[in-house]
Amino acid sequence: MADVRFGKLAESVVSLALPFVVAALVAGVLLLAIGENPLAIFGLMAEESFGSARRIASTLSAATPLLFTATATAICFRSGVFNVGVEGAFLTGGLAAIFVGYAAPASLGVVLIPLAMLAGAVVGAIWLWFPGWLLARWQVDEVVSTLMLNFIAAALTGYLINGPMLSPASGNNVTPPIHDAAELVRLMPPSTLHAGFLIGLLVLTLYGLWCRYTPAGFEAALVGLNRRFSRAMGISVGGTVIAVMVLSGVIAGLGGASHGLGQLYRFSDGFSPGYGFTGMAVALLGRNNPLGMLIGAVFFGALASAGTTIQLFSNIPLDLVDIIQGLVMIFAVMQIALPRLRKGAAHV
Amino acid sequence: MAEAFPGVVLGADRLSKAYGPVQANRDISLLLGSGEIHAVVGENGAGKSTLMRMLQGMEQPDSGSVILDGAPVRLSGPAEAMARGIGMVHQEFMLAPDLSLLQNLVLGAEPLKPGPLRRVDWVSARREGVALADRIGVVVDWDCPSAAAPVHIQQFTEIIRLLRRGAKILILDEPTAVLAPPQVEELFTLLRRLRAEGASILFISHKIPEVTALADRVSVIRRGQVVFSAAMADTSGDEIAGHIVGDHSAPVAAPKPAPGSITPHTVLAMEAVSTSAATRALRDVSLHVSAGEIVGLAGVAGNGQGELAEVLAGLHRVNTGRITLNDKDITAQDNATRRGAGIGYISADRRHEGLCLPATIATNTMTGSHRAPPVASGWRLRPRALAKAAEARLQALQVRYGRLSDPVSSLSGGNQQKLVFAREIAPKPDFLIVSQPTRGVDLNGIAAIHSLLRDFRNQGGAALLVSEELDEIMALSDRILVMAEGRIVGEVPKGASAQEIGRMMIMGGHHG
Repeated sequence: MADVRFGKLAESVVSLALPFVVAALVAGVLLLAIGENPLAIFGLMAEESFGSARRIASTLSAATPLLFTATATAICFRSGVFNVGVEGAFLTGGLAAIFVGYAAPASLGVVLIPLAMLAGAVVGAIWLWFPGWLLARWQVDEVVSTLMLNFIAAALTGYLINGPMLSPASGNNVTPPIHDAAELVRLMPPSTLHAGFLIGLLVLTLYGLWCRYTPAGFEAALVGLNRRFSRAMGISVGGTVIAVMVLSGVIAGLGGASHGLGQLYRFSDGFSPGYGFTGMAVALLGRNNPLGMLIGAVFFGALASAGTTIQLFSNIPLDLVDIIQGLVMIFAVMQIALPRLRKGAAHV
Repeated sequence: MAEAFPGVVLGADRLSKAYGPVQANRDISLLLGSGEIHAVVGENGAGKSTLMRMLQGMEQPDSGSVILDGAPVRLSGPAEAMARGIGMVHQEFMLAPDLSLLQNLVLGAEPLKPGPLRRVDWVSARREGVALADRIGVVVDWDCPSAAAPVHIQQFTEIIRLLRRGAKILILDEPTAVLAPPQVEELFTLLRRLRAEGASILFISHKIPEVTALADRVSVIRRGQVVFSAAMADTSGDEIAGHIVGDHSAPVAAPKPAPGSITPHTVLAMEAVSTSAATRALRDVSLHVSAGEIVGLAGVAGNGQGELAEVLAGLHRVNTGRITLNDKDITAQDNATRRGAGIGYISADRRHEGLCLPATIATNTMTGSHRAPPVASGWRLRPRALAKAAEARLQALQVRYGRLSDPVSSLSGGNQQKLVFAREIAPKPDFLIVSQPTRGVDLNGIAAIHSLLRDFRNQGGAALLVSEELDEIMALSDRILVMAEGRIVGEVPKGASAQEIGRMMIMGGHHG
């Protein structure tokens, strides 16, 4: 029995590591092609992302939004709902939190923080409830509706920060800064690592507990595996679909709020450089598993933080980091198809 | 080359095929002569489709061979079968719904205009279509989108498409299932005309009157074997019906609980239930099932039994009528509420509805009870309590399994079904819907499942048993209702023979 367990563990480690290895190989070939030594570059990247406490902090800081967006994605993917709208909920939730953070009276003090987080969660929840309801009630394809809502979210936030929420002190495209009291505490100054990272870990942990230790999490997994069976067992498939979409919105909204209150302190253009989509890659890579997603988020965080500094020390263009990211994502998605070909693995 | 089977255009020579423990075909021999219509009849699951798949090359036999033009061949698939003149019309039409009938006719083998652009020559396509339709005596509006065309015209288009590709042997899989009576007549005229031209036709059906009206020869398949084969002139509809349902020497009376131990009150009743006018799956169905009683529902597959089971489970809407459980109206209740009120459901589709195959044995055993103690308390689900409860349920029914964390797909068909029973019986339902309980289950599993059902009944449970195995219905049921074309056509009188029941099943719909 023990050896079977070990076999399973080894198998999942291999399948988890495979996309990274393949991506590294391809990136290595690319580096060779432009006349660089891949090992030296990879070494430099590792050094830049994990080489000191400060660098680790900046890696974790870059990983923070991904913890939220990956969890928000996983909770839907696990139920067979292909929600690609986490980005939109991250943006709208983030703006809602920022709005509370600057528009509510500063006299509220630290109460501003939970208030702003709540605003982010509620707006995110509403944002994704809508496509969830469309799917459950009218069978509107969720990939299409959530993708379109991302564009709407970008346009809507873009309009608001240029109109009603435009900072009087600035030219364009930015809200006023939030009150000092609304700022999340920085964990390791001068690095930008903030308390949002801890909230992210908490959300990830709660997600893991929800999956395993609640009837709702149990039902959501069954809905993801077999809707007909779920229905025949008296599980409300539509209700589950809406529930995971709303939860996804809550988590994505919290993510936007944490990013706003902890990192940027205001909402401007480029609030999210595609955290929703990178989070999707992390969820795929981590197989919706909390630990897998933590590792994936840190990895992508490392790529992002190393990428910005690496071009200072080498001739490597920042684009190469993006290329590696893209490659890992492609192989991560490829990986998800593999276990379905293989029989014998039980999921719930 | 010497012809081992002179005069045979298509045939099966001792074909056998097994899927795991299920022997779908056993030593099937069947010969189709030139210019002959050969009817293959049998209940659903008797093995007809497996045979047809082998004749098309979609499956390779475990032993035996397919005969083509008098000699054994090995067909690689439908494409090769088509190239050698064997065409099949499936039950579900293979037409692209948005394309016109003419486009469908040439799809995949379009006539081209000369030149490098490979443009489709629609003029010659139409000419071909019109000529073929003329030849078999039908009129087709070639510009009609196929989805909008009447069903029989869609079917004719499929036949014409096969003829155009040079088919000389046609396999028709229950071609009349979707047709109205006058359309059936039209189809038969067409088939007779093709026969006169020398085409050979394998006609799959389970409607006796059609077989006697059309076929030259008939073969009956039952439980994977050819049990009867004769020239139509030498047999009768009654004899064929008898062979379809088989010889029933098994005792009909099942051991019953001591009289008086159960008060016979009505547990479930349906009053004049019909489904929507569009589907008409159920028409004006009334029935009742009492405590301590198994009511069997006999009928040829596809006559509404499946829908009836789903309607009772709460998975299918009712248009009119009333359903009561213990005298409470449950017509408007959804499936979850009905489960809570005491209805259990053994789905006919074990692999897709009865079980969640990729999930674990423990999960499959406890789903449905996962919100109640001991598995859950309030917001919390306790995986350990779940495993323990699952173990107890499985042990009670002697389900054999490896580990609770194995996927349920690792179990044999019989053990899978016993697991389903363990799950459905454990909450002590008052009423159990049992649909095709022994489909794909080996003989030992069948015996175990039958005794589970009897135990349930003997402890005062009420069950409705839907099965295509008449043997099973006769062995288990206290009363038998016969269903045809969505109606209950009658209750089988006490002591009726299988032949009589078979006749009610097959003729009932036409007389009623």
